[in-house]
Amino acid sequence: MTDKFHDEIAKMREDVLAMGFFAERMLSDAMTALQKNDVSLAEDVKKRKKQLSHLNDTLEEEAYRLIALYQPVARDMREIACALKVISAAERIGRYGKDIASVVISLADTRSKDLAIALSLPHMGNLVISMIDDALQAYATGDLSKIAAHSERDDVVDALRHTIFREGITYMMEDPRTITSCMNYLMIARYLERCADHSCKIAEKVHYMVTGERIEIK
Amino acid sequence: MNDETIIATEKLDLWYGPARALLDITMEIPDRRVTALIGPSGCGKSTLIRCFNRMNDLVPGCRIQGKVTFHGKDIYGNGTDPVGLRRRIGMVFQKPNPFPKSIYENVAYGPRVHGMNDRTRLDSIVEESLRRAALWDEVKDRLSAPALSLSGGQQQRLCIARTLAVGPEVILMDEPCSALDPIATAKIEALIEELKQRYCVIIVTHNMQQAARVSDFTGFMYLGRLVEFGETVQIFESPRDELTENYITGRFG
Repeated sequence: MTDKFHDEIAKMREDVLAMGFFAERMLSDAMTALQKNDVSLAEDVKKRKKQLSHLNDTLEEEAYRLIALYQPVARDMREIACALKVISAAERIGRYGKDIASVVISLADTRSKDLAIALSLPHMGNLVISMIDDALQAYATGDLSKIAAHSERDDVVDALRHTIFREGITYMMEDPRTITSCMNYLMIARYLERCADHSCKIAEKVHYMVTGERIEIK
Repeated sequence: MNDETIIATEKLDLWYGPARALLDITMEIPDRRVTALIGPSGCGKSTLIRCFNRMNDLVPGCRIQGKVTFHGKDIYGNGTDPVGLRRRIGMVFQKPNPFPKSIYENVAYGPRVHGMNDRTRLDSIVEESLRRAALWDEVKDRLSAPALSLSGGQQQRLCIARTLAVGPEVILMDEPCSALDPIATAKIEALIEELKQRYCVIIVTHNMQQAARVSDFTGFMYLGRLVEFGETVQIFESPRDELTENYITGRFG
């Protein structure tokens, strides 16, 4: 194993990180589009899906190439194992961003758009995006303090989804004309909750990468 | 470690003249398991395994302090016969070193030296040893051919058969594959897997992937010290010592 290998590993971490932030950006732009009813931004997010898949494929190949050529062990092996998990979590997060963007586009002309805000989806979105951001920061620097509270933060997100679900039902019972949009917003709450779970997965793997110890967040 | 310990060292130090080659080595080696010793050249791996069957006795100026026990008995204590010890703790070297005799005679040599002359018994010991060394099928029709006519990998398996012929309990292997091609290496590795059903195998290797593949326990040595000793999976997945980590990931020096 040469220094070339460690240079390649460092390069892979940078690329994986870039993909992570790319996916995070898809989600945050989708949430901005939702809040501002910005259809062109939503369209733009949808278009990024192709690039996301491409990043996923090339980085996965890169990880397999490093394994095949260098048979890494210990820290190096854990780093590559973590990278593989981070890219698949990032891909899921980006795709949820795309799904949210699709909702924004399909509901662009309905009258009950302000329900998204009434249902505190933007607030939930901010919580989830900050979890993803901290998990990626931890991956970049190895600083585990960034992910120390992930379990509690995930509990908050789960509770919020529950509240949004009940509120949504109340709105739908009050005015059945909101059912279509409300149902879609409830789906968004569900997507956001899944994104928080993916950030926890990233956090678990970063913990493994840094310490060699497997933990379960939640 | 739940496994039964067969060889143990306690605060073992070794000097070659004024140079200290082993420092304060305390370890327990389990029976019927493969234990690998890894570490950079000159770290003391070979010196350590040579302590286990008193091969270092033959080195002028070599001095030992501390304890090495085999089945709980101090092998450097009074009353241990080094020749008898080396029969129970056999050794295979880096370069295959068959005697310039026939295949049959190479394997029969040890039992003969120990006084076995019954031809039928010898035949069955030779066959059994060659079978256990996974060489029988390749040589059974030419047992009287010269051992040196075999390929390198076959010669190495012959040397293993020669070790097995005297009925050892422990097999020490000092870089047994470093002079072999990948196919012969794979055969020896498969053989090691077989051997651990009956014997304790201790292998010194520079090839870390080989240590990872064949061993149950791994010890990492550096500058005469045993830095870390543990289950192979743990050593290669998350070593506890930074020095071990740096060595096995190639971040050394």
